[in-house]
Amino acid sequence: MTFTLGKYVPYNSPVHKLDPRLKILATILLMVCVFMNYGSWAMTFTMEAIIFVIAAVLLYMTRTRITTILRSLKSLWMVIIFLLLIYAIMPTNNPTFPIAFRVEAWNWTVYWDSFLQAGKILLRLIMMIELTMILTSSTKPLDLTFALEWYMTPLKVIHFPAHEIAMTISIALRFIPTILEDTTRVMKAQESRGVSFTHGKLSRRIAALTSLIIPLFVSAFMRSDELANAMECRGYDPRGKRTRYRMLKWHWYDFLCLFLVVALATAFIWVAVDPRFSSFLKFPLEVH
Amino acid sequence: MNVVEVKNLAFAYDSDSPALNGVTFRVKEGDYVAIIGHNGSGKSTIAKVLMGLLSDYTGTVKLFDMLLEKESIEKIRSRVGIVFQNPDNQFVGSTVADDIAFGLENRCIPHEKMQSIIEKYASETGMSEFLNREPESLSGGQKQRVAIAGVLAMKPDLVIFDEATAMLDPKGKAEIAAIVSKMRKENPKLTILSITHDVEEAASADEVLVINDGKAFLQGTPNEVFSHEKELHSIQLDIPFVPGLINELKRQGFSVPENIKTLEALEDYLCQ
Repeated sequence: MTFTLGKYVPYNSPVHKLDPRLKILATILLMVCVFMNYGSWAMTFTMEAIIFVIAAVLLYMTRTRITTILRSLKSLWMVIIFLLLIYAIMPTNNPTFPIAFRVEAWNWTVYWDSFLQAGKILLRLIMMIELTMILTSSTKPLDLTFALEWYMTPLKVIHFPAHEIAMTISIALRFIPTILEDTTRVMKAQESRGVSFTHGKLSRRIAALTSLIIPLFVSAFMRSDELANAMECRGYDPRGKRTRYRMLKWHWYDFLCLFLVVALATAFIWVAVDPRFSSFLKFPLEVH
Repeated sequence: MNVVEVKNLAFAYDSDSPALNGVTFRVKEGDYVAIIGHNGSGKSTIAKVLMGLLSDYTGTVKLFDMLLEKESIEKIRSRVGIVFQNPDNQFVGSTVADDIAFGLENRCIPHEKMQSIIEKYASETGMSEFLNREPESLSGGQKQRVAIAGVLAMKPDLVIFDEATAMLDPKGKAEIAAIVSKMRKENPKLTILSITHDVEEAASADEVLVINDGKAFLQGTPNEVFSHEKELHSIQLDIPFVPGLINELKRQGFSVPENIKTLEALEDYLCQ
């Protein structure tokens, strides 16, 4: 069992070194930039292209392999077909481009806008995936948890269990390999008793799965019971005061990146909001 | 001073089959006491009661002259450390250093002091090189050593080993035994209560308590306890090698002094 998308890849890149809190904020800001409307088609694609270049540079810096990127986009081909169909069928209210083609018999007109619209959505999806991949492949899951806890800390005022949630997530992450090991062990044990998880009719394979899931649940509950005992014995009190061994620290490069990202996002938002920019760039033939 | 004082302890997980049925024993400060018994004899239940994990027992349980009750649990727990059987199910942190730190965080040790404490106890248990390793890349014995480091970092007065070596290979067992004897040498006041079904381990203890069917069956020094061969065989317990040899020598008419516990001491005595 391997997860290609979102798996942490240990590597000593500048992106890896950044503070996870900053990386979460930057991801969100860049996504906002991706999903804004910038007026004319030429403007929209230019702005998206800038973020695309930024994402590409970051992916290069995190040493993400091309095959990994392509694999993460593999599932998108269905979306492409779906989008093209939807936008081809839907009438375009306010065409900014001439007609692409016309089927007289059905009285059906397709404008170039449909393709551009589909292309825009696709580009946004690709960038959403890539930006998330940059975040998760360069940040340890545990650091992400700490960062999320840091963002949730103000919510403690309204008794939001920020610490408990972070502890739960970090224990879940800690036990993923253990439970996977249990899974392979139970599978082997059941296969040695004649259960087949890969052959036979679908109904039989589903029945075989219960012989995997039930022992797995039993062992997971036993583990959690013992873990709870061990934590209690070591003085853990979720509501009590605790100190921290791992502390997130801001470095100068974090501040530099924070400045850059905020500046970039501000510029993008300005371009999106100010009407003077909305038709600053235009494709030939584009009317706006 | 008695570190542990248990009187008429009885406990049942369900009402028809009691796990403990009136156990009485004491553990003196600085002693290494082994509690042995076969599976299901109730020995692990004793550990759970001592840690305050089970509440509806009958009888009196005193630790450090404090009666175990709701108000004193926190105070008692801060002086007792426990190492459980399953190495995976007590590894809370995501790395070795995080796991040793877990107890320190709970005790509100300042962040600045943690690193040096972690390094100290990691080196004492031989885990210094592994501080940044994740549990899945460690062997069972190494994980147990991390658990011991986590316990020692809290400077306990009593350490309970609840079948801590049952899931380890012989090498892992030997490593843990070496750490335990080192711990005792460095801190003679440290009391150790080892719950085990490994009779060889019990032979090296100061005192042995045999539990059977929820009752204290025999209690005394290893040589005393293991001289009751018939009784122990009747409850499916083996005699460790050294006490067994002493028993045999005695049967053959040799007199062996009571203080001989190890194979080396016995060898020396026989070669005289």
